[in-house]
This record gives sequence, structure tokens and C-alpha cells, in this order.
Amino acid sequence: MAGKSSIDLESDLKTILGLRVIDAPRELVWSVWTDPKHLAQWWGPDGFTTTTSSFDFRPGGVWRFVMHGPDGRDYENRITFDAIVKPERLEYHHGGGDDVEPVQFRTTVVFDDLGGKPGSRCAACSRRPRSARAS
Amino acid sequence: MDPLSATFSALADPTRRAILARLALGESFVSELAEPFDISLPAVSRHLKVLEQAGLIARGRHAQWRPCRIELDALKGVDEWLEEYRRLWEQRLDRLEDYLRTLQPGAPDEKSPGKNQEKKGGRKK
Repeated sequence: MAGKSSIDLESDLKTILGLRVIDAPRELVWSVWTDPKHLAQWWGPDGFTTTTSSFDFRPGGVWRFVMHGPDGRDYENRITFDAIVKPERLEYHHGGGDDVEPVQFRTTVVFDDLGGKPGSRCAACSRRPRSARAS
Repeated sequence: MDPLSATFSALADPTRRAILARLALGESFVSELAEPFDISLPAVSRHLKVLEQAGLIARGRHAQWRPCRIELDALKGVDEWLEEYRRLWEQRLDRLEDYLRTLQPGAPDEKSPGKNQEKKGGRKK
């Protein structure tokens, strides 16, 4: 039950806020989160593989990929990048179209540099349903 | 509305969440619950009704003495729903960390995987 992350509901109940301290330089965590070659290695979930068909990394650009489930089922996904502030913040939303899985949510990933000993960095991410978009 | 939607929509109000927080401390009468809020008694009753319909609280039988108490089962549903996301993100971030470790061979390996169990921290040739 107790993991290495804190993952909980924000007080607005529309946002899930997760926090994980990652022992790696922020620039590296950033590139692993923003390069399809790296993403294929960890995006998961467990038992899944990820195949990217297009990756247009700019605000408004789209990442199209298929998550292959362990049971052989394929899950079509579309992520649209909303904001890219290298190497500290990444915002994107999921969904939008009949050709992809019916999920709609926005995610903001914040890569904080914790300083301290070399390699001690942190990533925080929050996600909320797309309908709750504030701006 | 399905139960989880009812729960979330009942919880999507700060006054109702404050009422629940108060009830987490113990049973209370409507008048006591209304005290800290700058709203009328009927308004509090309406909030209580929403909470009751969502199964988040229960109220006593007697018409005049109807203390409210929190019902934890509905909240459990919220927690179970959240647990799926916890699991997904725990797994995903674990994979991210494992992958980062393969990219930084020199980095300290605090979570030694099964294979190296016999010699934790010891470097093998």
C-alpha cells in the first residue's frame, strides 16, 4: 500500500496529485519523459508495451501511440501537448476523437530540481479531468 | 447516477466536506453542525440530505433527535477508485526509475533487484 510516491486527491477533488522523488538529474528525467524512444521503455503500465506512430513535440503537437495490453488488446491513445517549458514543466491532455480510448484528462508534470546532493531530483505530476480545465 | 458519481458530486462542495470532517469526530445534531457556518439551518439540512442520499452519512430514526453520523463505506469507494490510479502511477514511476537506473550505470542502486540479493551493495565482477 505505502509506495514511494504520494498520490492523492487535491482538495478540489478533481485533481489527483502525485509526487515522487527521483534520483536522477532533472535534464535526464526531462528527456526520458519527452522522447518517444525513451517513453517506449517505461510508459507501461506493467505488462504493456508502447508503440509510437507519431510524435510532434511542440505546443499543440500530438503524440499518437498504441499501448499493447498483456491480453493482446491494443489501446489507441492520443496526447496533445499544451505547454512545454524545458526542463521544468510539461502539460498535455489525453483524448479527443472517436479513434482513441474514451479518456479525457489533463496532466501537468512538474520537474523540480531539489538541489542537494547531485542526482537528487523530483518530479511531481497532477492530472484532472479535461472538463475541469481552468484556463 | 451511479454511486461513485453521487459520492463525488456530494463531496464537490466545501461546506459538505466541512460537515463530513466534523462528523468524522463523532455524531452530531443538525444544530451543532450548522453552528460554524454562516448559512441557514434549512440550507444545512439540504446539504445533509445530499450527503445522506450519497450514503456518506446516516441519520438517527427519531424525528426529534436525529444525530448524524458519517458512513465510511461510501468513502471507501472513493479510495478504491483512487487506488487504481495510485497503482498505475506507482508502477509507471517505478518503471521510470528502473529505466533511469539503466541509463546511469554509476548511480547508487538502493533497490537491488532479486538477482543481486545475496550481495547487496557488493559489486560483482
